[in-house]
Amino acid sequence: MRPAQESIDISRDLVSLLPRLRRFALTLTRDGLQADDLVQAVCERATGRQPVWNGHGRLEDALYILARTLQDEANGRKRVAADPRVGSASAGGATSGDAVQQMMIAMPEGLASAFLLVAVEQRNYRDAGHILGLAPDVVAHKLATARLRLAAMASDTTERRA
Amino acid sequence: MQHTKSPTIEARLSAYLDGEVDENERREIDQLLARDAEARRLLERLKQGSAFGATGFEAVLHDPVPLSLARRIRQGTDINPKQERVVGAPRRQRRKLWRGALAASCGMLLIGGSTGYLIGRTIDDNTPSAPVVKARTWLDDVTDAHRVYARQPRHLVEITAENDEEIRNWLTASTGVAFTIPDLTASKLTFQGARLLVAAGKPTAQLLFKDEDGEVYAICFQRSPTTDDSGRMTEGMRDDLALISWNEPGAAYVVVGPSATANFKDLADAIADVM
Repeated sequence: MRPAQESIDISRDLVSLLPRLRRFALTLTRDGLQADDLVQAVCERATGRQPVWNGHGRLEDALYILARTLQDEANGRKRVAADPRVGSASAGGATSGDAVQQMMIAMPEGLASAFLLVAVEQRNYRDAGHILGLAPDVVAHKLATARLRLAAMASDTTERRA
Repeated sequence: MQHTKSPTIEARLSAYLDGEVDENERREIDQLLARDAEARRLLERLKQGSAFGATGFEAVLHDPVPLSLARRIRQGTDINPKQERVVGAPRRQRRKLWRGALAASCGMLLIGGSTGYLIGRTIDDNTPSAPVVKARTWLDDVTDAHRVYARQPRHLVEITAENDEEIRNWLTASTGVAFTIPDLTASKLTFQGARLLVAAGKPTAQLLFKDEDGEVYAICFQRSPTTDDSGRMTEGMRDDLALISWNEPGAAYVVVGPSATANFKDLADAIADVM
């Protein structure tokens, strides 16, 4: 039986989740420094007086939702089900020579997050949509678009090496 | 998959890949793939993108997490992670060069760390880039050994602390590095004893300490061809372990401890001063 909500110490779990949380934050911010700031904000909130996790479900999901919510707030708008075929990459934070960051930054907002949650972390569309605040079919569209963009990047990379 | 509007063929095939289609949809797509070469090509494109992206995202996990961020989370200190992403200032000159080194370190983190996203390098690894498999360093071996032995409370060391003279003679002869066992009682660390490890194929001394909570700290050193006498310390993190390493002419050193340790850099400084 889990301890009372207010007595759950998630500090150690937080530390072990940091690499994954940072990766998810990077898909949201598409900027390395902003991702670290977002992770810090998430951890501060998560260890603050208002619990973000009640001991049920995955702590990771609660942190991801918090990260996404904070990022939405930072963007000054509510996330809406944007058409994944439009949108532009953030200009800030790109670092030269970092193909992975460039890959994520190059994708329109929301694509990398959907791809990470489903194709990498093996969540289903419903859970991914819950984290991202999106309907499952929107997740599906973002995911398909992300895969095709990534395939194009893979082809480009192969051609450059050839 | 529930649709609020007609899904594109790309989305349908993508959902098919993820097992997010019902039985009817799966049958339809199977039939489509059987008769339509373009659909098959599209499915392969989706698979290709998935594999490429998964590899790239996996590499992101190898990027080191700022130590100070981990400490702040676990201990609620007021450390600003933006100011402590990398410790790179030479130990003996750190007061004068602190600000510059810090700024440079943050910059280097962005450049070097981001490279690590792709090739899985760690921040304290100066070996030439290897596109596929990164060569293990002695720090990798030391870290692995620490994980194993720190969980052996009854068999933590080979020679216990009271045999300190034997430890000095044995490890000096084995490693070729003369040393002093540091007194870390001021840091509330109690010497437990020592082990001999093999790291990167070389005999490596491991001096083990425990704090009041039973957390294990290790000082490891081995003979090294380095002539580096800068005292530059490199801080890294491997999951829940923090590492601070440095070189002296003829020897390489590293301190390993829990990542949440406050003042870990001060501890490493104190150790380096007496080693």
